[in-house]
Amino acid sequence: MEKSSDFVLYERVRNKDKEALEQLYDRYEKILFSFLVKMTEDRDLAEEALQEVFIKVWRGVGEYDESKGKFTSWLFTMSRNAAIDLIRKKKKPSVALEEAGELVSPASSVEETAEWQEKKEQIQLAVKDLSAEQQKMVQLFYFKGYTHEKISELCEVPLGTVKSRIRLALKKLKGTLHDMQERGDSPWRN
Amino acid sequence: MAKLNCDHVIDYLNGTLSKEEQLEFEQHLKTCTDCQEIIEMTGDLPYLADPVDPPAGMKARILSTVFEEEAEQKKSEEVKREPAPLITQKAVKKKNRWPVLIAAALFVSLLGNGYALLKLSEQPETGGEMAFQSIDLQPNEVFGGTAKAAIIREEESLELVVQAEQLEALEGEQVYQIWLLKEGKPIPAGAFTPSANGEGNAYYSLEDNTEDWDTIAITLEPQAGNASPQGEIVLSSEI
Repeated sequence: MEKSSDFVLYERVRNKDKEALEQLYDRYEKILFSFLVKMTEDRDLAEEALQEVFIKVWRGVGEYDESKGKFTSWLFTMSRNAAIDLIRKKKKPSVALEEAGELVSPASSVEETAEWQEKKEQIQLAVKDLSAEQQKMVQLFYFKGYTHEKISELCEVPLGTVKSRIRLALKKLKGTLHDMQERGDSPWRN
Repeated sequence: MAKLNCDHVIDYLNGTLSKEEQLEFEQHLKTCTDCQEIIEMTGDLPYLADPVDPPAGMKARILSTVFEEEAEQKKSEEVKREPAPLITQKAVKKKNRWPVLIAAALFVSLLGNGYALLKLSEQPETGGEMAFQSIDLQPNEVFGGTAKAAIIREEESLELVVQAEQLEALEGEQVYQIWLLKEGKPIPAGAFTPSANGEGNAYYSLEDNTEDWDTIAITLEPQAGNASPQGEIVLSSEI
């Protein structure tokens, strides 16, 4: 249900329907905030990034349409870029690999929604299919927003190959996930 | 421009492509399943995050900021939405400058419309000298937007109304910044961000105008509040 109705809601937001924006906010507040905290490791910065995102959505910056893929892909990408902007502006860039955290972290105590948990477990399984280097690259690129130069340095790969390696890692991840969904696997039944 | 392909999907995700490159990549995206899959993956990856409970009051803080920003933006837009009858014989009063502004805004929005020109030409001179000038700003070679400006000079004051259309959407904290220049030296003269349909408006007033400005320009600034231009000039005209 949520896929099509996201777009309907977004269309209403484009027509300056405040209630629609609030619904969109409610729907994505927790995942976005959690995602932004994972990226920034700073709750204040995460809130600031989230505010930027909703200002942009409301103003119609970088307008969404279905040719750009899933609504969530668009929303998450915009959020990720808002976080990267703030990290680069406000935080000293960290250079040590240990500071970058892991792509998959140990189980948390806060309760997840069933949908979230299902997705997370599936993605975690798919992540296991990546090499250690690929996992590291996805973490540094996607969640930490590191520059290609820094990723090249930390992962000890030639700068010219960073983009294609990230691309291959993401593609492999999607392929594995896709196969799992095709087979109708539910991760906890494995 | 070289055709954008799968090599650019990472730049696309990072938002580092120019507007033209982005559009070009989106064309590529329509037919490339590999890139579609990578973009789709970004709709899943955030679920790897551990759930964090949002702080108390965050929703109220964020939504009120979002809607307040909108209200600020609206102020300048409302000027042009005032109903037409406000252009009347009584419109120009010295104490209240708004009617002048409204007339100016309507003048700009209806430029080329014979009726508006006729109405305005009927307007009487009142009190001190009032000079009214309309300007079509010229875009640079690559900019797709257009803008018109009206300058009203009366005794010591200057008022400027700018209306722009077909503007490119902005990213981050970018704004369209208006400048008045004399012999190459600029002062900031209002800023705006475009609405969803690419329109933008600004109003600026100088109470004590001693300069004889020779140029008006609009730049694309990385953020609001710059005292001198950092971005490139997208629209400009001699005054």
